[in-house]
Amino acid sequence: MRTPRTTIRRKLILAIMLTSTTALALAGTALTIHEVTSLRALLARELATRAAILAANSTAALAFQNPEDASQVLAGLRTDPSIVAAALYDARGGVFATYPMGASAPLVPAAAGAMGNRLERASLLVSRPVMEGNRRLGSLFLRSDLRALDERVRAQVMAILVAVLGSMGVALALSAWLQGGIAQPVRILAETAKAVLDRKDYSVRARAVSDDELGVLAEGFNDMLAEIQRRDAELEQRVADRTAALEASNKELEAFSYSVSHDLRAPLRAIDGFSKALLEDCGDKLDQVGTKHLDRVRTATRQMGQLIDDLLNLARISRAELRRERFDLGAVGKEIAAELKRAQPEREGVQFVIAEGMTVVADTQLLRVVLDNLLRNAWKFTAKHPTARIELGQHRDNGHRVFFVTDDGAGFDMAHANLLFAPFQRLHRQSDFEGTGVGLATVQRIIHRHGGQLWADGAVERGASFSFTLSEVKS
Amino acid sequence: MDLLRRLLLGLTLSIAVLCAEGGAAGAEGRMTREYDMKAIFLFQFADFVNWPASTCPDTLTPITIGVLGNDPFGAGLDEVVAGETVGARKLVVRRFRTVEQVDSCHVLFICASEAGRLEHIHAKLMGRSVLTVGETKDFAARYGIVGFDVQRNRLKLRINVAAADSAKLTISSKLLRQAELVASKG
Repeated sequence: MRTPRTTIRRKLILAIMLTSTTALALAGTALTIHEVTSLRALLARELATRAAILAANSTAALAFQNPEDASQVLAGLRTDPSIVAAALYDARGGVFATYPMGASAPLVPAAAGAMGNRLERASLLVSRPVMEGNRRLGSLFLRSDLRALDERVRAQVMAILVAVLGSMGVALALSAWLQGGIAQPVRILAETAKAVLDRKDYSVRARAVSDDELGVLAEGFNDMLAEIQRRDAELEQRVADRTAALEASNKELEAFSYSVSHDLRAPLRAIDGFSKALLEDCGDKLDQVGTKHLDRVRTATRQMGQLIDDLLNLARISRAELRRERFDLGAVGKEIAAELKRAQPEREGVQFVIAEGMTVVADTQLLRVVLDNLLRNAWKFTAKHPTARIELGQHRDNGHRVFFVTDDGAGFDMAHANLLFAPFQRLHRQSDFEGTGVGLATVQRIIHRHGGQLWADGAVERGASFSFTLSEVKS
Repeated sequence: MDLLRRLLLGLTLSIAVLCAEGGAAGAEGRMTREYDMKAIFLFQFADFVNWPASTCPDTLTPITIGVLGNDPFGAGLDEVVAGETVGARKLVVRRFRTVEQVDSCHVLFICASEAGRLEHIHAKLMGRSVLTVGETKDFAARYGIVGFDVQRNRLKLRINVAAADSAKLTISSKLLRQAELVASKG
């Protein structure tokens, strides 16, 4: 099970933080813009109010030509450091009084200008008429330093920034706390799944930690594990039952075939013995045809005897205990080859090639049966060729030792290879090559009992090759 | 700084006065300017004084500025007042020879020529809502409500608030700020 590249925990925190930060940034920006605009508007309003009060307070001073009083009224501006200069003009537009006293251009205009508000670099300039009733007595000029406003804007923005950062901190803490409700159960579930897969242990259960869909998921997961566990136990029980039944029936079958084969021998011996006696004792009374029939009877009897021997062998091999010992497979092969040559010395064209150093740890008796069968087969299926080459050797394949017996005889059709190792199955006619069809089945059983594999390669009239492995057992 | 500025101002004015007193024409010019100023002041009072409703039967009743005695303004006062209004009220100038002639009047300027009859005039106008303005010494303290006083080429105001109160006149505090307040004498 692969380890995830990112975690739900991180994704959740990221999602929450992205959402809240975006919202906070937007709100902060909107708030800042609003603050700046409203601060400017507030300043303009404040200035307008201040100018109105100043104008109202200056009417009499202008009406009765009292610049000292006008200067005093303007001096009241000292309390507001953002107003850097002010001036009163009489009805003809001449300077009447200034703040600070003696201020002149460019701080205050030398003559009254146009009425209204005007922005000039870092200053807001306000000019308004001074009226008493509907009579215009003069005008008032105020110069306000916007740097004070900037200062206030900066303070506001700083406050908003601090609030946004603080909120982000709180959001981070909250998201770290909230994500636990989702990420924790998922993590527990993932860990449980990993534990089940890694240890193949279906008795592990996910801890249920939440009562939401994740809780349902964990419950479902646990139910599935319980079901798997139940089926596992059931399957194991079934396999055990079937194996036991199979073993019992196998034993029965072997006992049956053994006793049948054994019991068949006695009548067979009688047939063989009496047909031999008939030939010896009454041979002169039989004509050529009778003698020939009796010979056929004896050959068939011998064949049947061989078949019974093979069957008994097969049964014995299946039941006999393996007695492993170290020996050289090549030496056994050479003995068998010598035996074959002795039996048919007329086949001088057959050449045996047997490799050296094929030491194995196996049951000597059974391996002798294997080699006897394979070499005898090779000997048999090369009989129709004047010359033949039969090889017993080994090679390494993927670190395993593979032994083989190869000939260049009649071979077989690979299409029927699956029939080779089944008992009583033959690929050639009895008239072409003698045999009972039990040999290769015996060989396969011995190899399997040694924990090895047996397989064949071949082609018609191109020879055959039988290979087998043995489970390597350290002696 | 303030001291230096005052010294400079004083010096400038002294030179101006010396030059002005250089000839008869100069003296006349100075007088004309002084009465122009006084005319403006008389006219401005209308904005800063409230008369009781009885003196103004309706909102269109004009505000009358009266001149008692030998008129020193010439056409100056008429020119100042011409076309001006206070709210919807027009301003009119009327001239009286004697105090007995004074019937409907809001602001009454008592000329220097009446200096000998001030006691009589004061008595005659007692209890009437007329803003009396004079230019003789102690006028505000003894015979009226507002006194003009020329000091160093500048026109100063003296106001007798008690007299204004008994005449049922309300004088704006803004105007009072511009004046020296005096108490009644004798």
